Amino acid sequence: MNEPRDTSANAPENDDDARLLCALVDGELSGDERAVLLDRLAHDTAAAERVEHYRRQNAALRQLFPLPSEGASLFVQPRTPWRRLGLAAASGLVLGLALGAALPWQALPWGMGQPDFAQRADVAYAVYVPERRHPVEVTVAEQAHLLTWLSNRLKQPVAAPPLGEYGYALVGGRLLPGDSGPAAQFMYQNAAGTRLTLYITPFPQRKLALQLLREGERRTVYWANQGLGYALSGPGDEARLRAIAVDACNALGGDASAWSG
Amino acid sequence: MSFESDLLVWLPHLRRYARALTRDQAWADDLVQDTLERALSKWHWGRSGNLRAWLLTLLRHRFIDQLRARREIAVDDETAPWQHLPAPSNEVDGLLLRDVERALYRLPLEQREVLLLVAVEELSYQDAAKVLQVPVGTVMSRLARGRERMRALLAGPVAGDATSTRAPLKVVKHTP
Repeated sequence: MNEPRDTSANAPENDDDARLLCALVDGELSGDERAVLLDRLAHDTAAAERVEHYRRQNAALRQLFPLPSEGASLFVQPRTPWRRLGLAAASGLVLGLALGAALPWQALPWGMGQPDFAQRADVAYAVYVPERRHPVEVTVAEQAHLLTWLSNRLKQPVAAPPLGEYGYALVGGRLLPGDSGPAAQFMYQNAAGTRLTLYITPFPQRKLALQLLREGERRTVYWANQGLGYALSGPGDEARLRAIAVDACNALGGDASAWSG
Repeated sequence: MSFESDLLVWLPHLRRYARALTRDQAWADDLVQDTLERALSKWHWGRSGNLRAWLLTLLRHRFIDQLRARREIAVDDETAPWQHLPAPSNEVDGLLLRDVERALYRLPLEQREVLLLVAVEELSYQDAAKVLQVPVGTVMSRLARGRERMRALLAGPVAGDATSTRAPLKVVKHTP
């Protein structure tokens, strides 16, 4: 207010007015408040211009920050307005149904015999595969470091089997929270940019032969051996994913022939 | 029904908000990744409330923490990530996007973040208040001041005039 030229920004009464005009632009006024204000704007051109400016700011900001589209095929927009999703999430029902309709479970429903880690592996695949953060191949030295780090965090030795025979190179690994302790996720990529992930987490409950989880276009083959659960996730091609999983399972000390198909 | 699949729905929104906050793709990716890891580890069934607001809150907390770690980044600091952007050259409704972007990153952080939540993420005032952990009245004042400031900046003769807004990013303590 020491600055006579810039009177609009800071004077309290202008601040109040700006709040009112903002509330109009943001749809936060009741029907009555809105009607009164619109009446006023009909002859208060200065205020009308401000409202118009706020609207233009909004349009420009939305244009500046479009919704990122990568991985868009995986992301399903719920049909319910998002303000109602709080309730939906609380009931655990409505959003689940909306998603269920869009991403039908083709395998057994969740909780019907699959270990949680297979689900988590599938979701972790969906979450991280679109990221383009680590596009370079992990060097041998980095790989050793990565394996040591992940083994320490999982408190068991973990290994990333080579999948070069199938054209996939290891491009990175990350630590994720799992339901029975931390989980490691290795990411592989082929020349075409297709990605596979191998998810590894403690699973002391029992030994599991190779099994398949289908979720939308994603496939996960999972098994458990020597206290660790493994899940190999990738896009559609089931036969190929199974073949890779068999090799990975054998390379990791399991016995894939126990799998009957 | 899995919480994780609900999470996927909001992933693009988290990415967008992180990019707008940081204006730095790598930083934004890190923020989103941290947020997801935190969300996956903190979630427990029976938790009620608005998932999106909760995720945005987590993301914002990570951002504030990381800002603290980077300490003293001023809005017009030469090294701030948003100083080195390829400027968009198109125009929307008579406003040059380049100018709008520049004005946005000249706002104090607390005005910028509320503007992003309301104008871009289209949150209600109440949900924005939840994310920012301030009263609704504070959301309204910051928003009003932010928009007025944007208007003044966009009307100004030289948007690049450095003397006008050398305000450091203020990291505000969250008070309930």
